[in-house]
Amino acid sequence: MTAPLSYPFPWTPPMEIPDALRGLRDQAAVTVTLPSGDRALMVTRYADVRALFADHRLSRNISRRQRPDVARISADNELFADPEINPDPPDHIRVRGLVTRAFTARRVEALRPVAQGVCDELIAAMKAGTRPTDLNEAFAYPLPIRVICRLLGVPLEDRDRFRYLVDGFLSVTKLPVEEMQRCREGLWQYLGELIDSKREQPGDDLVSGLIKARDEDNNRLSEHELRFWTQGLLIAGYVTTASQIGASTAVLLHHRELVEEIQADWSLVPSAVEELLRTQIMGSSVGTLRYAVEDIPLSDGTVIAKGTSVLLSEESANMDEEVFPEPFRLDIRRTDNHHMTFGAGLHYCAGAALARMELQVATRSLLEQLPDLRLAVPGDRLPRGLGGFTEGFTEIPVTW
Amino acid sequence: MRVTADRDTCTVSSLCVYRAPEVFDQDEDGHVVVLRPDPPEHLHPAVRDAARSCPTRSIRITEEE
Ligand code: HEM
Ligand code: SF4
Repeated sequence: MTAPLSYPFPWTPPMEIPDALRGLRDQAAVTVTLPSGDRALMVTRYADVRALFADHRLSRNISRRQRPDVARISADNELFADPEINPDPPDHIRVRGLVTRAFTARRVEALRPVAQGVCDELIAAMKAGTRPTDLNEAFAYPLPIRVICRLLGVPLEDRDRFRYLVDGFLSVTKLPVEEMQRCREGLWQYLGELIDSKREQPGDDLVSGLIKARDEDNNRLSEHELRFWTQGLLIAGYVTTASQIGASTAVLLHHRELVEEIQADWSLVPSAVEELLRTQIMGSSVGTLRYAVEDIPLSDGTVIAKGTSVLLSEESANMDEEVFPEPFRLDIRRTDNHHMTFGAGLHYCAGAALARMELQVATRSLLEQLPDLRLAVPGDRLPRGLGGFTEGFTEIPVTW
Repeated sequence: MRVTADRDTCTVSSLCVYRAPEVFDQDEDGHVVVLRPDPPEHLHPAVRDAARSCPTRSIRITEEE
């Protein structure tokens, strides 16, 4: 037997889809070693991945206090494992329902002009500033955090402090360990204060909506859940979207002919965004870690044994030759692009519609308002942040 | 073509509304509502696409002869 593959797979060269993804689907599941050294079973085929995202026999409760044998992603990471929170039904459905109300097509579309306004402002600042500049700093990170501020109802005057705390907490900025800890505590405290102020003066934001649900019926949402989910939206929705905006723009700029194709026909933006979501996963699938509470058979007859830690490989499913013709080709006109980048089933990304809207607005605004936008260094030398939840480019020098 | 949708399994992805807004809508909580259970022919491709994309397979289509 060969040694297990190390996972996440390396993105070398940074613009090419990892080689490890070729031929991976010969077996329905492969054993991988995580950064912590622990092993997990990775499911590789589209049909299995899609079915298992919706399978109750895989639990998302990966707290080691309750399941001591569950694999760890990295040695010190407990991000998704709060012992007071149950990520499985029925608790999960109850809370998720309160959150997803904010992400109906109508409410997401109401945020489109907000996102457009933020894009216009950020691009105007880019034009007024120096060249080259880092697209992450100047655009990709500020956009989603401002949209989330609006969604949560963070007042304008708190925006900078809020972003500092969030960036420190999520290690967006590299800070000493003690300062990160201070940011973590500061953020938890800030969310408490935000909740208090919304309780006094409710608005039409998500936090006010959650408080209303809690105060009207105590059983619906505990105070701890209220803060946990608010913080969870930041964890789930900020760096993911920022990283995807940066990475997908960088890939487009690396393929100048695609930029010109889109500039000649803006109706291509949505399908281009989907294709970049499919191929350019800005993160690995470590966040899908689950635990088998029963034996589960796969498409090739292999059985996932009860007690196994399981990863559902979105990136491998997205390259499945059975589902996507010429999967390794970047085709911005691809139709029937039902990729797994937002998961599937009950836990399907709550913010997917919001992320799509932001990506569409961002892509068009950048290519329209900065028609000569280009990478200031060769694309295959862009540095990637590897081994984590998000693996986009750590810096994207651009000029125009 | 007849279209039905299961609100109990709907996970509020909003995908169907984006793919076929003439046929699908959402209630206040975001759960799917079928506006046109018998959509006209020209909407059929969009409806099939919506059904295929539904993350919880909550949309059912019955094709008539
Ligand atoms: C390009 C950006 C994004 C990507 C690739 C992404 C991806 C994902 C994936 C794959 C899942 C499912 C995880 C699993 O089942 O194990 C998920 C869940 C989630 N996402 Fe996203 N996401 C993005 C943006 C957002 C945004 C903008 C928000 C909200 C502001 C958000 C909120 C959530 C929440 C709350 C969940 C948990 C849903 C649940 O457990 O039921 N995400 N995301
Ligand atoms: S696509 Fe499915 S899950 Fe999404 S809103 Fe429509 S019915 Fe609900």
